[in-house]
Amino acid sequence: MQAVSPLAKTTPTKDESQEQMDNSFSTGGNGDFPDLLESIDFGNLFVGINDGDVLPDLDMDPEILADFSVSGSGEESEMNTSVSNGKVEDNTEKNEEDKVLGSGSGLDSSLSTRGEEIVSKGDESVVVNPVSKESDNGRKSAQAKNNQGKRKVKVAWTSELHRRFIQAVEQLRVEKAVPSRILELMGIDCLTRHNIASHLQKYRSHRKHLLAREAEAATWSHRRQMYRAAGGGGGKADMTPRHAPTMGFPPITPLHHQHFRPLHVWGHRPMEQPLMHMWPRHLAHSPSPPPPPTWPTSPPYPSYWHHHNQQRVPNGLIPGTPCFPQPLAPARVVPGIPPHALYKVDPGIAVPTRQSGPHPLFDFHPESIDAAVGDVLSKPWLPLPLGLKPPSLDSVLGELHRQGVAKIPPTCA
Amino acid sequence: MGDSSASYIHMVHHLIEECIVFNMGKEECMEALSKHANIKPVITSTVWNELEKENKEFFEAYTKKRRGEKVREMETRHEIQGVIADSSNSNTSADH
Repeated sequence: MQAVSPLAKTTPTKDESQEQMDNSFSTGGNGDFPDLLESIDFGNLFVGINDGDVLPDLDMDPEILADFSVSGSGEESEMNTSVSNGKVEDNTEKNEEDKVLGSGSGLDSSLSTRGEEIVSKGDESVVVNPVSKESDNGRKSAQAKNNQGKRKVKVAWTSELHRRFIQAVEQLRVEKAVPSRILELMGIDCLTRHNIASHLQKYRSHRKHLLAREAEAATWSHRRQMYRAAGGGGGKADMTPRHAPTMGFPPITPLHHQHFRPLHVWGHRPMEQPLMHMWPRHLAHSPSPPPPPTWPTSPPYPSYWHHHNQQRVPNGLIPGTPCFPQPLAPARVVPGIPPHALYKVDPGIAVPTRQSGPHPLFDFHPESIDAAVGDVLSKPWLPLPLGLKPPSLDSVLGELHRQGVAKIPPTCA
Repeated sequence: MGDSSASYIHMVHHLIEECIVFNMGKEECMEALSKHANIKPVITSTVWNELEKENKEFFEAYTKKRRGEKVREMETRHEIQGVIADSSNSNTSADH
C-alpha cells in the first residue's frame, strides 16, 4: 500500500488510482465499511506512510521513494530487490496494516486486496510475477517507462533485450517456446508474460516471413541449378520430371516486362529454354495461357516492424536472373506469397551461358536481398534477425586498421 | 569518430545477419553487401570474422548445416541430370 503514495507523487496516473481508491472507499463502501471510514484518515494514513512513521518495518519505503522520484535506471535494480522483498513480505505488510488501522478483519481483507492491487498496478515494472525475483539483472530502458501504473506497459525492445529474447527462444525451440519459460530464461523483471507473448507472436510471424523469403530465394536458386543441370543434359520439352517436390514449387515470379508465349511453343526451343525441360508434360499441352494477365510479384517480405515495403520491389531486376520464367509486366505488389500459376517462359529470353564451375550454392533472389538490405539501411533501429552477439568494436576497428581501412564508413565501396 | 563507426559496424552486423538468414556463406555475403549496400568486402569480412569469434557455436552449426546442404544439392543435381538423360533416351521417338 505504501507504494501508492510515492507513485502518486510522481505521476498523475498514480494520483488517479489513488483518488479512485479513495473514492471507492468513501462512496462505495459506506454500508460495508463504516468502521473503515471512521477509523481511517486516508490523508494521514498516506502521509504517515510517507514519513515512514506508520509502517517503519517495511524496507521498501525509502528506496521506492528514491527510485520513483529519480525514475532512472541506476537504482532500479535496487528497487527491484527491495520490492521483491516487499512482495515476499506481503503477509507482513498486511499485518502491519492491521495494526495501523486497528479495525476488523473485513477491513483487513479489503485493504489488503486493494493494497495488493495497487502494488501490482503501480509496480508492474518492479514486481511482475514471482519469477522476477530471480534476478536483478541490468536494467533495460524499458524499465524507465514502466513506472506508470498501467496494466500494459510498452516495452522498448532494445537490441540487447531482443537478443536475449532470441537466445531464450532458440534454447526452448524444441520444447515450444512458451512465454513464461522465455521470461524465466531472460530473467528480466520488467517484462511481463504478456510482453513476451506479444513479442513472441511478432517474432514468429517475422520468422515465417524470413523463412518464406529464404525459401523463395532458395527456390529460385534451386530451380536455377536444376535448369542448368537440365540444360546440361539436353532434352526436350516433354520430359516428365520425377522429382516432383522440388520442381513443384510454385515459382514466385519476379517482375518482368516481357511477354510470355503459350506453352506449346516451348518445344521449339529446347536449348534456349532450359526451364521447360523440367515442367511436366501436361503443361506443355495447355492450349491457353492460364495465368492471369497481371502476375503478382514476389514481394519483399515485410520486415519485422514494418509492413509492405512494396516500393522496393524493383522493376527491372530480372536481367540478372535469366533463368526465371518471365511473367507479365505489371508489378502488382501483393503482400504475401502470391498464388502462382506460371510455367511460362518467354522464348525470347536470352539465357546466358550456363555458369558451370564454382558459383555460389544459392543464387539469391536479388529482389529479396535488395529488400532485406534496404530494410536494414533505412531502418537501423530494427532488431537483428538472429540476435547474434555483436562483435567487439575495438577488435573490428583494430583489424580494419591493420588492413589499411582508415575511415568508417568509407566513402567508396 | 566512435559513434559513426560503431553504428556503421552495427549496420554491417545487421546486414550479415540478414545474409545468414539467406543461408549465405562469408564470400557470398561479402559479394552481396558490396553489390547491394556498397560495403567494402574487407569490412564485411572483418565483421564476419569478429561475429564468428563472438558466436562460435552458432557459426559452427551454421557451417555444418551449409556443408550438408551443399552435399544434398549436388546429389539432387546429379539425380536430375540422370532423370533428364533417361527421359531424353526414352522420348527420342515422341513428337511434340
